[in-house]
Amino acid sequence: MDLTGLKWLQQQQQMVSPEFLQMLGSDGREELRRVETYLGKNIFDTIDGCISRTSSFQTEPVKNNEENRAVALLNKRKSEGKTETREKKKKKIKAEDETESSMKGKSNMSNTETSSDIHKQDYIHVRARRGEATDRHSLAERARREKISKKMKCLQDIVPGCNKVTGKAGMLDEIINYVQSLQQQVEFLSMKLSVLNPQLEFHINELSMMADLRSFPLHQQGSLDYSVMNSNQTTSLVVKNDAFSSWDIHSQCPYNNLRTDPVSNFFSLK
Amino acid sequence: MAFAENHINTDVPEKDVFALHFLQTLSNLSTQNPFSSPDKKSDRVKKIKKAAYVSMARAAGCTDRLWSRALLQRAAKRNNKIVRFPRRRKRVTWLRRRSNRRDPVEEAAAERLRNLVPGGGEMKTSKLMEETAHYIKCLSMQVKVMQCLVDGLSPK
Repeated sequence: MDLTGLKWLQQQQQMVSPEFLQMLGSDGREELRRVETYLGKNIFDTIDGCISRTSSFQTEPVKNNEENRAVALLNKRKSEGKTETREKKKKKIKAEDETESSMKGKSNMSNTETSSDIHKQDYIHVRARRGEATDRHSLAERARREKISKKMKCLQDIVPGCNKVTGKAGMLDEIINYVQSLQQQVEFLSMKLSVLNPQLEFHINELSMMADLRSFPLHQQGSLDYSVMNSNQTTSLVVKNDAFSSWDIHSQCPYNNLRTDPVSNFFSLK
Repeated sequence: MAFAENHINTDVPEKDVFALHFLQTLSNLSTQNPFSSPDKKSDRVKKIKKAAYVSMARAAGCTDRLWSRALLQRAAKRNNKIVRFPRRRKRVTWLRRRSNRRDPVEEAAAERLRNLVPGGGEMKTSKLMEETAHYIKCLSMQVKVMQCLVDGLSPK
């Protein structure tokens, strides 16, 4: 695979005939020179990049001739079909995140280094990745997917333990488990509260308790360390029911029975 | 956390706000039903749990968030039924059905998340992520408050 790609690149350099150069015109010649230097210099550094980019050309149903392929490479933007899609993209992209796409490359083809010097149009181009279609809908779909993945990264920061799992599915599972564990915690604590206050009398005493709460680790920015807080509480929890007995067993971390390591990591965060 | 700042705003008020709301709601509990004495544990627990969620929704921004709105609406109804409106089918047009561009694994997980987060049934997936982030933050804050309360009340 690498060898064939390398050969193709070498061919590309050799294939440039004088008529071809004339056809290109002066700007085209400049660009072609840039292409050559780029291909020549970085051939070993970016060979994979080149291959990945250039191989995408083969999927394009433009022309089979290699010369024409190079023309297509450089002059793609001049063809009519491209202007159409570009205009569509223009309308589409302006509605979307402009800063995001303006940071990306300029042309629709993924050969961004070579065509990066092509003069800017008024509107924003979005880089097409390897093997991906460049029509409007897949572009929108891709933007949507990127939005979602961005938000999932934010979620990853919030949910502890997400860093170890890679991939959307695993992360989402972690998030779901975390939400479930939090809701179970709420239920557990409300049970505890109901036991501690059987009459449900929360009046001014409790409000003054708030003053105590302020002096308590209420302002603690770190999360709860259950191993510390629960050690004196397990005995205070009066077990009246069988339903409560399961909560009482694990002294250190009451959620040990839920899951193993990831969950216990939640509760002993630094 | 390297970058604490998200482009999404997931700010959550301080613990004091949550604590205040929670205590207020709890004090309302005892004055609500003077005649019926809730002897059953499950009733008590349910009431406290509901109070916890409602106070959390109020503390975190009553109507600013979709999930808090949905929570309060659900709590306002007596039967506690989850009314889940069908998702707007705006996105699934005939053009998109060409190829299955939705990742099925991701969508299944998103579905489960929708069941968990209140008000999730109507959100698009990107909005769901935002709401989940805020919901998680508020939930953890509420848990901290409740834990502190329990610690304060428990005999030492």
